[in-house]
Amino acid sequence: MSEQKRQSEDELLEKVTSTEYKYGFTTDIESDTIPKGLSEDVVRIISAKKNEPQWMLDYRLKAYKAWLEMEEPDWANVSYEKPNYQDVIYYSAPKQKPVLDSLDDLDPEMKKTFDKLGISLDEQKKLANVAVDIVMDSVSVATSFKETLAEKGIIFCSISDAIQDHPELVKKYLGTVVPARDNFFSALNSAVFSDGSFCYIPKGVKCPMELSTYFRINEAGTGQFERTLLIADEGSQVSYLEGCTAPMRDENQLHAAVVELIAMDDADIKYSTVQNWYPGNAEGVGGVFNFVTKRGICYKNAKISWTQVETGSAVTWKYPSCILKGDNAIGEFFSVAVTNNRQQADTGTKMIHLGKNTKSTIIAKGISAGKSDGNYRGLVKISKGATNSRNFSQCDSLLMGDKCGSHTFPYIEVKNNSSKVEHEATTSKIGEDQIFYCNQRGIGTEAAIALIVNGYCKDVLNQLPMEFAVEAQKLLEISLEGSVG
Amino acid sequence: MGLIENLKSYSEKVQTSEKKKELLTSFLVKGFPTTKDEEWKYTSLKKVVAKEYTIENTGELIDSSTIEKYSLGFENKIVFSDGKLISSPNIEGISISGFSDFEDSTTGSVLQLNKALANNGFTISVDKNTVLENPIEILFFSTAANNFSQYRNQISVGDNAEVKFVERIQNTNDSTSMVNHFTQINCAKNTKVEYNKIQNNTADSRLIDTVSVYQEQDSTCDINTLVFGGSFIRNNLNFEQNGSNCESNMNGVSILDDNQLADNHTFVDHKSAHCRSNEMYKGVYLGKSKGVFNGKIMVRPDAQKIDAFQSNNNLLLSDDSSIDSKPQLEIYADDVKCSHGCTIGQLDDDELFYMRSRGIGIEEAKAVLTYAFASEAIENISVEPVKLLAQNLLAQKLNVDLDFSL
Repeated sequence: MSEQKRQSEDELLEKVTSTEYKYGFTTDIESDTIPKGLSEDVVRIISAKKNEPQWMLDYRLKAYKAWLEMEEPDWANVSYEKPNYQDVIYYSAPKQKPVLDSLDDLDPEMKKTFDKLGISLDEQKKLANVAVDIVMDSVSVATSFKETLAEKGIIFCSISDAIQDHPELVKKYLGTVVPARDNFFSALNSAVFSDGSFCYIPKGVKCPMELSTYFRINEAGTGQFERTLLIADEGSQVSYLEGCTAPMRDENQLHAAVVELIAMDDADIKYSTVQNWYPGNAEGVGGVFNFVTKRGICYKNAKISWTQVETGSAVTWKYPSCILKGDNAIGEFFSVAVTNNRQQADTGTKMIHLGKNTKSTIIAKGISAGKSDGNYRGLVKISKGATNSRNFSQCDSLLMGDKCGSHTFPYIEVKNNSSKVEHEATTSKIGEDQIFYCNQRGIGTEAAIALIVNGYCKDVLNQLPMEFAVEAQKLLEISLEGSVG
Repeated sequence: MGLIENLKSYSEKVQTSEKKKELLTSFLVKGFPTTKDEEWKYTSLKKVVAKEYTIENTGELIDSSTIEKYSLGFENKIVFSDGKLISSPNIEGISISGFSDFEDSTTGSVLQLNKALANNGFTISVDKNTVLENPIEILFFSTAANNFSQYRNQISVGDNAEVKFVERIQNTNDSTSMVNHFTQINCAKNTKVEYNKIQNNTADSRLIDTVSVYQEQDSTCDINTLVFGGSFIRNNLNFEQNGSNCESNMNGVSILDDNQLADNHTFVDHKSAHCRSNEMYKGVYLGKSKGVFNGKIMVRPDAQKIDAFQSNNNLLLSDDSSIDSKPQLEIYADDVKCSHGCTIGQLDDDELFYMRSRGIGIEEAKAVLTYAFASEAIENISVEPVKLLAQNLLAQKLNVDLDFSL
């Protein structure tokens, strides 16, 4: 490669790494917060503020006690200053609770926030046929399409509402896939979760629209502990979208969500995430800590598909997993993880094969730029009884710049001799010959890189629902600006 | 009582240097690694160290017929009998002597124990420009019962030299024995070194073997590991590339049955630019055997233009066999090509059918396919008798007479 070309590529990478987070702004809404710190009293206050029944409080207290005995894990290949858990505000709710009759009643400030994000509720309602349950600082403020869903018997509401209105369902399923004691962060979440989404699809119902939630962290210093519980009853089908953007902050913000999916016999759940929490500035100051536990359980013939596009957060620590319990269950994981500047991501999946003829597919694409580190960490476990199981894993990493790192840590455990497991991983940079080929045909270097990155991520982006694919591409563009688009 | 207690009472009696005593004391505080240790996640030493051993025991001196029995017939032989160097060849340009302690940078508590206890081993120094056609055969015999022995070996190869080795660790009785073996190989500029390890010890033998290779510019080093016999085998293979244009090649074949456990850990540290590494490990598991593979490729910052290739393929041929595999890449440079592949599966039914329809019996068909599977790694071995031995042992393990050699 000629010196000049190398220089232009360097400039390009420079541009890539110098792009600042575009969604950094705070919405000025009065908040009702409790003092910093975590104690049994705080857990009680949260529960009381939400007017929760006794069993819920007991659940929280049990989790809190378990959390006290646990240690923050440090096995992930990331380094960060451990948050001071006594310096976090565990509950904040917007004071004005808007009436939900129509979108016009929404707080204009909040409305503006969503507009800035390019998520027009009206537009989505009318054009995209998407029901949106918006969570802003932990409390649901707008729910739409509820009626349409209610006709089909689908319950889609905030988890606090679900605790009030459908306690039997919540009680039955909460913590069954991700027990409170599962890990440090799930215990913390179980103790203090403020809100989140709840969804129940009755037997044989195919959800007529894509369900989606947008999460935002708003109040300065507020950790957000979302709890999502999604139950697809026998033979039902649902596609769920989750998107995240967070305003700019200098202090690290803690985000420890728990997502539980339950796919009963013959059910089908597709869970898509676009994650763009604030990643910190170019020097790695600020940014969100994203320590998420996501897990789904598949019963007979059920299928869970995780798709994620991870572009944000200072530190990501996330492993959406599938427990393939029933025979013929299918688990899928498609991921694009982009790290830039000083971001660190340790992400991957766990596929636990218990039933016969279970299948899993893992496609993980990492793109590292700047001084960032991207890790794939995954487990494929074929237990003794998982006869004729099949797994295919592919992890590719693309390195942009010579200061970044990319790592893969797959764990493969096979105890059954009729199962087939394949794993492959590659690490490379964009080939000079590929760029040369494009240049030759009149495509500029920048456009060529865009083309190649898009092609590289295609397998995953194709899995996203239409509405999300557009947004995902937009995020990739922003995250790798200068090289994409 | 167990090995730790044996070591404790040994440490009270033994006459040794202050430094070694300190090492031993600090080891006894830490103890052996457990499955909580990431490097030992899938391999438990619990049962292995629960047994009682006699530390550095000596038995009868080995006789020439026994040597004959286990030798592959190479002219140049280094023979140890219970730690004692009993024969070593005179080769021009190569000096061979007994144990001489050396400093090493390899870490881990098992190696610390080796350092604290070892009084035996070889020191080989190959002069510059020496090219030796025939391999040097190194045989370690253990005749004493329930022996726990340590070896600490060092090979230093001078600039432009070429040399090959074949190593075998062998028990002459059926007692439970354990060997903690460490070999350090220093490859100077433009050297070519091949080291073959034949691990086909008695049924109840245990082995922890560590090989650390330090490579200078333009050097090539091949380490071939053949795992056939022994109840517990742990191989640690570390490469450190300290100059440009180095090549590190690793081939491994493990064929296990009964209750055998073989754990192959490899680590390639690419510290310099323009280097290569190739790794191919094949495992065949029968009976209740268990395989573990952990391969790590590390590319340090600024070690550009690295080509690193790693593959680990496993065949599970019985209901009770299992495999845990952990291929890892840790890359801190961008202009590199690194890949790893790992497969776990069975013999293909169509292929078996094809062979059976041509009159080949099921057992033979399986053996041929298994052979074909493993041969890819065996093919890379340049020492003909080792290759042949591998083929024969393979046939023996599969209970067939292949009656052909490739």
